[in-house]
Amino acid sequence: MFLIFALITLAGAVALVFQRNLVVAGLCLVLCFMGVAGLFLLLANPVAAALQIIVYSGAIVVLLLFVVMLLNEHQEEPAARSRPLQRWLSVAVILALGAGVVKLVTGSRVLRQLDANARSAMPAPMTLNKLGDALFSQHLLGFEVAGLLLLAAMVGAVALVKRDL
Amino acid sequence: MLKIAWLIPILPLLGAAFHGLLGRRLGKAAVTAVALGCTLVPLVLSAFALAAVQAAPGRRIDLPYFEWMAAGSLHVPFGLVLDSLSSVMALVVTGIGTLIHLYSVGYMWEEEGYARYFCYLNLFVFFMLTLVLGSSLPLLFVGWEGVGLCSYLLIGYYFDTEVASAAGLKAFLFNRVGDLGMTMGMMALFAAFGTLTVGDLLVQAGRLGPEAGFGVLSFATLMMFVGATGKSAQIPLYLWLPDAMAGPTPVSALIHAATMVTAGIYLICRLAPLFLLAPITLTVVAWVGGATALFAACIGLFQRDIKKVLAYSTVSQLGYMFLGLGSAGFAAGFLHLFTHAWFKALLFLGAGSVIRAMHHEQDLFRMGGLRAKLPVTFWTMAIATLCIMGFPGTSGFFSKDEILFLAWHKSPGLYAMGLLGAACTAFYMWRLMALAFWGEPRDAHAFEHAEESPATMTAPLAILAAGALLAGLLGLPRIWGGSFAIEGWLEPALTYGRPLLAPAAEHGGAGLAWGLMALSTAVALAAGFLGWRIYRRGPAAEEAFEGRFPALYRTLARKFYVDEAVEACILGPVRWGGNCLWKAFDVILIDGVGVNLPGALTRAGGDLAALAQTGRVRNYALSMAIGAVLLLWFFLR
Amino acid sequence: MTSLNSLLCGGLQGYILVALLLFLIGLGAVLVRRSILLQFMGVELMLNAANVALLAFARFRGGDPQGTVFYLFIIAVAACEAAVGLALVVGLYRHRQSTDTDRADALKQ
Repeated sequence: MFLIFALITLAGAVALVFQRNLVVAGLCLVLCFMGVAGLFLLLANPVAAALQIIVYSGAIVVLLLFVVMLLNEHQEEPAARSRPLQRWLSVAVILALGAGVVKLVTGSRVLRQLDANARSAMPAPMTLNKLGDALFSQHLLGFEVAGLLLLAAMVGAVALVKRDL
Repeated sequence: MLKIAWLIPILPLLGAAFHGLLGRRLGKAAVTAVALGCTLVPLVLSAFALAAVQAAPGRRIDLPYFEWMAAGSLHVPFGLVLDSLSSVMALVVTGIGTLIHLYSVGYMWEEEGYARYFCYLNLFVFFMLTLVLGSSLPLLFVGWEGVGLCSYLLIGYYFDTEVASAAGLKAFLFNRVGDLGMTMGMMALFAAFGTLTVGDLLVQAGRLGPEAGFGVLSFATLMMFVGATGKSAQIPLYLWLPDAMAGPTPVSALIHAATMVTAGIYLICRLAPLFLLAPITLTVVAWVGGATALFAACIGLFQRDIKKVLAYSTVSQLGYMFLGLGSAGFAAGFLHLFTHAWFKALLFLGAGSVIRAMHHEQDLFRMGGLRAKLPVTFWTMAIATLCIMGFPGTSGFFSKDEILFLAWHKSPGLYAMGLLGAACTAFYMWRLMALAFWGEPRDAHAFEHAEESPATMTAPLAILAAGALLAGLLGLPRIWGGSFAIEGWLEPALTYGRPLLAPAAEHGGAGLAWGLMALSTAVALAAGFLGWRIYRRGPAAEEAFEGRFPALYRTLARKFYVDEAVEACILGPVRWGGNCLWKAFDVILIDGVGVNLPGALTRAGGDLAALAQTGRVRNYALSMAIGAVLLLWFFLR
Repeated sequence: MTSLNSLLCGGLQGYILVALLLFLIGLGAVLVRRSILLQFMGVELMLNAANVALLAFARFRGGDPQGTVFYLFIIAVAACEAAVGLALVVGLYRHRQSTDTDRADALKQ
């Protein structure tokens, strides 16, 4: 199961990178998020999975596609000047980092330790109750601040886009 | 009196300070009073000093004051020494100095920088007295340099003219070249004797045998002579003296006739025992002196500027003095110094009187007929001219003949040079007199307004004339019945225990002496008469001569092109070298590489680094990613 | 457990690897693509990668709720960022008629 969801995620992501059409790219993003939601389920976190689908692929990607439609720029425009250096250097960096990451993950003792400890014991799945408990007691301040942040972002977004204040 | 002997040099110094600091504010009367006082009082004191020296044992009084330098084995005292040589010289300096100060009052009265003039003049007297009375060579050298400085200041008195400034600089620089020789001589003497106090030096020298004369001593005395050459305008360092005529005429009289230029002769007389031990140097001195005497006299034949004639005459007469010294006639050379001071100062002051009367006209070809208008000037200058040509009975006659006599014994060639020089001297001096005082006035306008100078100027002229006539008595030779007193007087100072060469009169006897005397007198009289005869109607004859022998005339009139040669061979390359150094070294190396290059490199480096600032976020993100790679690699390897 | 097993069968190492690879792909999208909207999508990918790693660690520490709480905050921040960022994109487009980030190089030296 894990492998399937992992592959869906990664495939969606890779497809996104190579996509010409912006709308299709957005849809690839949705696919990727679906995969991530599946991964969350496997991590015994249905709450997170639900939130992922509702908020991320349901709201944020929609917003993104909305802007794509608004600007009517479905294709990425051709480059004014081709810059191979940036492209090849980026690829090289990514590959290097990738190799490093694999080496890191496979060689890490900490990860193996944690893994060994908890692998077999499947914890209780996350529920809204537990989430609420933690959120409104220990992390209340953060919660409130996040709310304020959302308010500020809303106001800011509107202010930025207005033609005349 | 001896307790206040130090006032002799110090009073003029105080006078100079007064003039320099307060002179402008306190007015000409105050300046005049202080200036005259500060030379008159030392004159009186010097007279007393002379009397004291006369009475002292060994005719020598040492007045040490304190230890000036003490460094390792070098101990230089700061003190004065009064002996027969220095006391006479001090009298000359203060005596003629006072007369010239008096004369300057009249001559410089309308000048703007009146106080400045007397400041420099008093300062000069101070330095000259330090030179004369100093008990050690460094102190003498202080005076030496100081008179060079004052010479520069006074020649460049009219500093707003190009000519005067350049002349002052030229004088100073030529002196400097000579000073190099003097410094090396001092160092050599210190190396040889371990002391720079004149007294100790000479005492030690007195104990050396004649075979010690080669090596270090010859070198040291030769170097000292080089120094003397610079100061006393001998070949090859004489070029500054004619240019120095750009200064005021009293300055020329004092510095470039009577006192500063005689410092070289004084130095050699001072170190006479050393020179007596170095016969090579003496020969060099004699030949250089003789050559200069003849060379300068030739140049003086066709000069048009009255002061230039006298300048070359001075160079020539200084050559005679060196000729005398080189022939081991230290007393004779000094005698000529003494007599020359009188009549040359007189000639210069008289010329100043003429120049002032003719409204600062200095060209002989524009003068004429001044005999009636300037009687005192004329008669005093005539007396001086008789002295300089060696008219029998005048002071110049005795001193010059003594030198020629000694020169004959050194080498007949030297005598011939001296004789020829004497002929030229007589010729150009009477040429000068004729052009200035005889004939029809050639500049009617200036002649109209010419009048005799005021008493402040004519009184010194008269006094100098009397001195010029009488000074010869000091050197009345034995064949005339005198005792050549000056030699006896100077002997303790010149010998320090080692005998002078045997009196020359013993060589060849009286007959030779009379014969040479008659010959030189006849030659001089003939040449003088010829000069007067040719020029008494005006310069027409000279123009004719120029037409007949243009090349010869031009060579002599243009001073044998020596100045041009120096310019081409020495100054030109130096300037060229300096220019190259400037362009190559300063501009390219220091400015270019030292200063501009780091700047340019930094700018280039900055431009290179700016290439990374593309303004595009993608590129910056890539840089961050690369950085992350590097960090991770560094920490996880 | 061997690493490969962990990697392929949903062990911690597998999740972390996925997260990191997802992050790298998002980075690649930002670096290689020029359109600002695509770069934005890349940023979202990177955020999600962080989310995966976070929740994976939470589960393997015995179901810690703090992980989910933090995940919520990340979502909130991402939403704000999306709103404001897209507003800026709209503004940029109005100004330049282009969403090409390579054109926005006014700070170039």
